[in-house]
Amino acid sequence: MFELQKVDKIFPGVHALKAVDFEIKRGEIVGLVGENGAGKSTLMKVIYGAYQHDGGQVFVDGKTVRFHNPRQAMDMGVGMVFQEQSLIPNLTVMENIFLGFEKQFVNFGVIDWKKMAEAARHQLKKVKLDISPSTTTSQLSFAQRQLVELAKVLTLEERVQGDLVILLDEPTSVLAKDEIKLLFELVRDLRSRASFIFVSHRLDEVIDLSDRIYVLKDGEVVDVVNADEADVDSIQREMVGRNINKEYYREEQQKPYDDTKVLLELESVGNSGKYRDISLKLHAGEVLCLVGTEGSGREAILRTIYGLQRPESGSVSIKGQALKGFSAKCGVEKGVAYVPRERKIEGIVGGMTVFENMTLSQMGNYSRAGVLDVRHERALAREWIEKLSIKASSENADCGNLSGGNQQKVVLAKWRSGGSDIILLDHPTRGLDIGAKEDVYDMVRDMSAAGIGIILVADTLEEAIGLSHTIAVVKDGEIQKWFDCKPGCKPSLYDLIHYMI
Amino acid sequence: MDLEKLKRHFPWITLVVLTLLVGLMDPNFLRPHNLIQLAGDISTLFIMALGITFVIYIGGIDLSAQSVANMTTVLATISLPLFGVWAGVFCIVIGLGFGAVSGFVTTRLKVPSFIATLAVGGLALSVGQYASGQRALYMDATLRDQAFGWMIGTTAGIPHELIIAIILLLLAYFVQNRTTTGRALKAIGAGELAAVASGLKVDQYKIMAFAFSGMFAAIAGLLFSVKLAGGSPTLAEGFLLPAIVAVLVGGTPLTGGVGGVLNTAIGAMIVAVVRTSMLYLEIPATSQQIFFGVVLIAAIALTIDRSKMRIVK
Repeated sequence: MFELQKVDKIFPGVHALKAVDFEIKRGEIVGLVGENGAGKSTLMKVIYGAYQHDGGQVFVDGKTVRFHNPRQAMDMGVGMVFQEQSLIPNLTVMENIFLGFEKQFVNFGVIDWKKMAEAARHQLKKVKLDISPSTTTSQLSFAQRQLVELAKVLTLEERVQGDLVILLDEPTSVLAKDEIKLLFELVRDLRSRASFIFVSHRLDEVIDLSDRIYVLKDGEVVDVVNADEADVDSIQREMVGRNINKEYYREEQQKPYDDTKVLLELESVGNSGKYRDISLKLHAGEVLCLVGTEGSGREAILRTIYGLQRPESGSVSIKGQALKGFSAKCGVEKGVAYVPRERKIEGIVGGMTVFENMTLSQMGNYSRAGVLDVRHERALAREWIEKLSIKASSENADCGNLSGGNQQKVVLAKWRSGGSDIILLDHPTRGLDIGAKEDVYDMVRDMSAAGIGIILVADTLEEAIGLSHTIAVVKDGEIQKWFDCKPGCKPSLYDLIHYMI
Repeated sequence: MDLEKLKRHFPWITLVVLTLLVGLMDPNFLRPHNLIQLAGDISTLFIMALGITFVIYIGGIDLSAQSVANMTTVLATISLPLFGVWAGVFCIVIGLGFGAVSGFVTTRLKVPSFIATLAVGGLALSVGQYASGQRALYMDATLRDQAFGWMIGTTAGIPHELIIAIILLLLAYFVQNRTTTGRALKAIGAGELAAVASGLKVDQYKIMAFAFSGMFAAIAGLLFSVKLAGGSPTLAEGFLLPAIVAVLVGGTPLTGGVGGVLNTAIGAMIVAVVRTSMLYLEIPATSQQIFFGVVLIAAIALTIDRSKMRIVK
């Protein structure tokens, strides 16, 4: 009933979806899995109308359709339950459920609240949620909000002729075990009303709930498996593909670090609500990886080390000196560098040239009495463009127009040329294609060989295991477990996951 | 050539076309003497716009410039007999201070710049009104000529105001393009979060941009009061709108990061030509603000970088 044929989606520089075929039948639950950047979210956005496909066709009940916006998709029965919830917290449950569709309750311009509450109760019954429709949404628990969101999508049932397709984007990521169980039961019950597309990182859950599973990798569907024939390991292999081999992460280049030289030390550092009692030592040449789920506190720890967030307790010392001031400026002066996850927002300044970006953190070195030595800056940029083989027309090219991988190289060049020796990498390979990822891995090894200490928050667990000397598993803001990652005796995915969840 | 690239050339093309159009209406307009006169007349407004450019360049706005200039005319007139030529320095420092206060309120107290500068503008207005006792004041001609005579008059047919404006433009251009401060301001305008993550002291630079704006507004006020030999808290009335128009029409969008002081020079000349053309078309001076209001809205709508402004409130 809902089908994609050879759907393509192209962004500047990225071929995000390559001839994707996708089909969902009435009452079916289809799983969708893939690594970060494999194209899952792009595919979902095409399905629910947030993006328009550039090639191929979309069919609903055999008819070609083209959704220009999510509203049009909803009119054809396609609804999305958002991972970051789309409910407005200060509105009541019923207002949220019928947001944008209040017209049915309006008499002479006035909303008939009783009628709306009645209708909302009907929707809430579908998801077995026993709350008053006039509750303010912010008072609900996270799991309850998720159900309200689902109820909101289920209103399509009354509005739309034909069948429903509901997308569930990582619905379990913040739920407790018993809540997940309830949700799954509910979804199975609701199959009589709708088909579901279930997206999750947790493969066991996907196999548990779905009928069929689409495996996405680098924008292509690499396999479609029936859930009863599927197992976690084989899907994992397909998701990661050739990437899993040792060479990919340059493991043979991993040299032991210098454990006599401590670059950075954290002593029971804490920040209420974010992390507690974090102690760690980073040595010269070490790659230390913080592993954990989204929101486990990894990013907050990085931002504290860099000076963007002041810790409430504990001490941070860099090269034996305790840090007193906390600001990015202090961090930079002590040789700490930060490669942020949001490359385009925090990493580079779009609209400024390559050389301007490279010297942004170290203008003091390229100026006298506040007057810039532009010739010197350009020479530096040319040197690093050469060294890291950055693909840019010249040092005067606008950084915003480079590809993601080359932007990342500019960010790294900025810090390395400034002599930083503690480098914090936050998802350095996010959104990069494979070649660019490998370039980043090469650079990590180079830096490590040069005696630079690296703290890494990796995009995937494989990446974390492959690249690091040491792994700290962080859960709910605390370090749960340390792993030593010498080549040859690295921990497995399951060793880590056990402590993450 | 795509539209984006063409967009950057719009300002000077507009200037040339407008100048030629007015020239068609009256060929005398194109005489060098007349054009220089025109540039001289717009100098004060241009200097104010120059300062505002720094604030718009970082993505803010300064609505206090006119009030600061007004206040300066009063303070200059009052302080001239007391300090002589030092009255100028006194005024400039006061302007700088008012700008810095706006910057402080914006960065440290997190009040959006349009409100912060509106409030500081109110403050400056009151200071002007209080100091003048709500009256127009007059400078003693001899004292003025002794201290600031060099600001007015002409050399080789070129008005001194124009020379001052050009010197300030060159200075501002140097700061913008050749100094670490200018580079930092550009980074803040184009990508503030990346500037923070690169370890720049962003707040400090922002305060500096506001301080520059206050300083230039004070210089504009000083020049104006010397020219008219007096001061009053309403002397520079009607400057703000055309000054902001000059910045935006020149090609520095409200979202910041591109454009700069040279653009503002072109923008100010556009404003000057438009004003003159309104004389030819016999549009009364009182209606000119209508025109500038409309141009302001059009200029913002055309130049703003929408990717930076998802939500407008």
